[in-house]
Amino acid sequence: MINYTFFQLDNGLKVIHHLDESTQLCVLNTLYDVGSKYEHSEKTGFAHLFEHLMFGGSVNIPKFDEPLQFAGGESNAFTSNDITNYYLTLPAPNIETGFWLESDRMLSLDFSQQSLGVQKNVVIEEYKERYLNPPYGDVWLKLLPLAYQKHPYRWPTIGKDISHIQDATLEDVRAFFKNYYCPNNAILVIAGNISLEKATQLTQKWFGPIPAQVNQKPKYEQEPKQLEPRLAKVEANVPQDLLVKAYHTVPRKHPDYYVTDLISDMLGSGKSARLYNALVKENRLFSELDCYLTGDIDAGLLVIEGKLLPSVSIQTGEMEIEKVLLDFCQKSIPDAELQKVKNKTETNIRFNDIGVLNKAMKLAYCCLLGNINLVNEEVNQYNNISTNDISRVAHNLFSPNNCSTLQYLAKQHG
Amino acid sequence: MDNLNRTIAPKSSIIANMNFLHGSSYTTQNNIPFHYLHVAESNVLKIDFVFNAGMRNQLFNGQATATGSMLTEGTSKYSSKELADKLDAFGAYLQSKTNVDDAQLTLYCLPKFLPQVMEYVIAVLTDCSFPEKELDTYKTNAIQRFSVNQQRNSFLNRRAFYSSIFGKNNAYGSAVNQEDYANISRETVSTFYQNNILPGIKYVMISGEATGVVISQLESFLVNLSSSPSPSKEVVLTGNIPEKIILENPHSVQSAVRIGRKLFGRKHPDFKKMQVLNMALGGFFGSRLMKNIREEKGLTYGIYSAMESYLDAGSFYIETEINNELRDTGVTEILKEIADLRENPIGADELNLVKNYLLGSFLRSIDGPFSLADRYKMILDYGFTYDYYTEFVETIRAISAFEIQLLANQYLQEKDLTTIIVGRK
Repeated sequence: MINYTFFQLDNGLKVIHHLDESTQLCVLNTLYDVGSKYEHSEKTGFAHLFEHLMFGGSVNIPKFDEPLQFAGGESNAFTSNDITNYYLTLPAPNIETGFWLESDRMLSLDFSQQSLGVQKNVVIEEYKERYLNPPYGDVWLKLLPLAYQKHPYRWPTIGKDISHIQDATLEDVRAFFKNYYCPNNAILVIAGNISLEKATQLTQKWFGPIPAQVNQKPKYEQEPKQLEPRLAKVEANVPQDLLVKAYHTVPRKHPDYYVTDLISDMLGSGKSARLYNALVKENRLFSELDCYLTGDIDAGLLVIEGKLLPSVSIQTGEMEIEKVLLDFCQKSIPDAELQKVKNKTETNIRFNDIGVLNKAMKLAYCCLLGNINLVNEEVNQYNNISTNDISRVAHNLFSPNNCSTLQYLAKQHG
Repeated sequence: MDNLNRTIAPKSSIIANMNFLHGSSYTTQNNIPFHYLHVAESNVLKIDFVFNAGMRNQLFNGQATATGSMLTEGTSKYSSKELADKLDAFGAYLQSKTNVDDAQLTLYCLPKFLPQVMEYVIAVLTDCSFPEKELDTYKTNAIQRFSVNQQRNSFLNRRAFYSSIFGKNNAYGSAVNQEDYANISRETVSTFYQNNILPGIKYVMISGEATGVVISQLESFLVNLSSSPSPSKEVVLTGNIPEKIILENPHSVQSAVRIGRKLFGRKHPDFKKMQVLNMALGGFFGSRLMKNIREEKGLTYGIYSAMESYLDAGSFYIETEINNELRDTGVTEILKEIADLRENPIGADELNLVKNYLLGSFLRSIDGPFSLADRYKMILDYGFTYDYYTEFVETIRAISAFEIQLLANQYLQEKDLTTIIVGRK
């Protein structure tokens, strides 16, 4: 059970406090409701580039990291399709340093051409390190535009192309900040060894005076229902063929999201999962085989991906995956198998709830989803699912017309 | 708009409260060292079963890791599938990890399912059968993973580095190859199991919701284990002749760079002090290397330095993946930063910042049941007491700029450093 208190400042900032007296630390987690889905299709990668600039100094504080480190703290951030999330951890007695730093960069940034230039280079190196240099690194750059034709999820958070990052201007940066980085577009979680009184007082002191802004979110198209199977083939300098199949799921807030999550576990989580057991262990076709959800707020994807053994054709691999899926959809699901994935989910949730930073992030995210108490309710949401739910959802999910297939093939040498 | 002076930092001070939760131990009736660390309301359990079955005890490359991976692949009573089904049914995870100095099997589970899953854990630790078919699957898939890894510059770099500084013919420096995997047989793994797992467990450690009830449940299963662990074998190091190796990977858009040397492990009296130096050079986001090479020059997404400790040696290195065209600039700048530490004392403000950051990191490292268990495990593995951490904090507080400069001169001379670069010219 994660206890919390919610309050909202006059400027619209949503605040959640969670007391954990077993730690000597305190965490500030600030979630901004902006991700790459709000980007213009010709200026992608911007939300993530902007995240880097948030560490380049703010209006009253030339350097973000140094005062934080001096107070014994550490911080980082991540950007996704949906959100940009900043977090910092400090020894609890020093938490005011965190309030000071985090509120100043919400107030205004130090917009510098030099910082923008350097961070563009850093992000371009990040692009290479993660997406271009490693084997199979560009799979998502190929898969997303196949699975999505309209929705902005069709480009990855890092950006569609390096040129988009190169072309970003200081004007873009200013406009983006003004629109999205305001108290009325943020959720602040204060978690750790700090009283509610202290947390409230510090929040009022440092965040209270920051004015609300007009925050306009661009309208974007939802992905239309996919009506026929899609296939793309690429060749690359890799040792093994990789097969990826992506199926559109329900949005994160849909009740069937939890059902879909359990389906992905039944198929792909652990050695007893159906796909792994059938196609890695029994019938040895793949050397690795996974199944997972992207977990986005709008309709996301269930992804099955596997690397084929050298002697196996990609067509055979695909046929055998489809056999497993057909069997899953047509035959009744044993109760014990459902109970198994429920138990695994409970283990995962309990382990994830260890540590004050994890709890803070989860509180912020559930608040964004519209129900903070999801942090405590999700175990029950999973436990209430029946085998009929599984079959019903699986039947629609695994329709061939709902599937995008990427054949990522090893280039033949000689 | 507000009367706050936002230009002045709030007051802060670092008090590392050393009254953190310590682990406790006793010896079970059948003579197994048993360690526990109970954190109330943590609701989860992590149990480590530790054996002298690390790579240092192996006779062939890949033998220890293969044995570890095969532990859950079948016993005389349960097939691989049955084991997976049973453990998964109770939402438990059983993971094996083979290190250079030891090996461990770790169980993650909810307290309510401990009695149900322990039967299978005991089977794995006493009765492995190493089915031919499962071993063959392991070998095939390991070879596939290896061929993918061979396209990773950082992977190739790391292998070349350890072989260079430790020599190739010992557990610290040897690198597994495709032929090593191919040569593993049922006999290889079952011999290793008989010689290094069956004779006895080194110790058991439980952390999380380790109540009295849970501990006695666990202990009732431990009577099935033996308690005379095989001795840990000696590691004979060669190598450590500084060299520069450049490996070509024509498909690269970046180069992996590693510069470093063989150094000492935690048992050496200078280890703690060197941690301060390492932190200043490349140990955190505000380090000299990160500031210069990422934040000023934008040459890389990340660069860091690290000290790794094994029981009988250690290493120090700087690692980065860097823009191909500018990698020589990167190497020059790395060497410049090291030279600066040798030639000039670190400034008072910077030293203070590094000290505070290290103390803050220490606080983060004692947060939560599993971090606390890790701190306990480290002192057990090295034969230290909790005084190690008190001394660590005292060392950080006391170290001077002069001492750091001395260390840099003693341990970070350019002539002692090995450089490995993997990428495209």
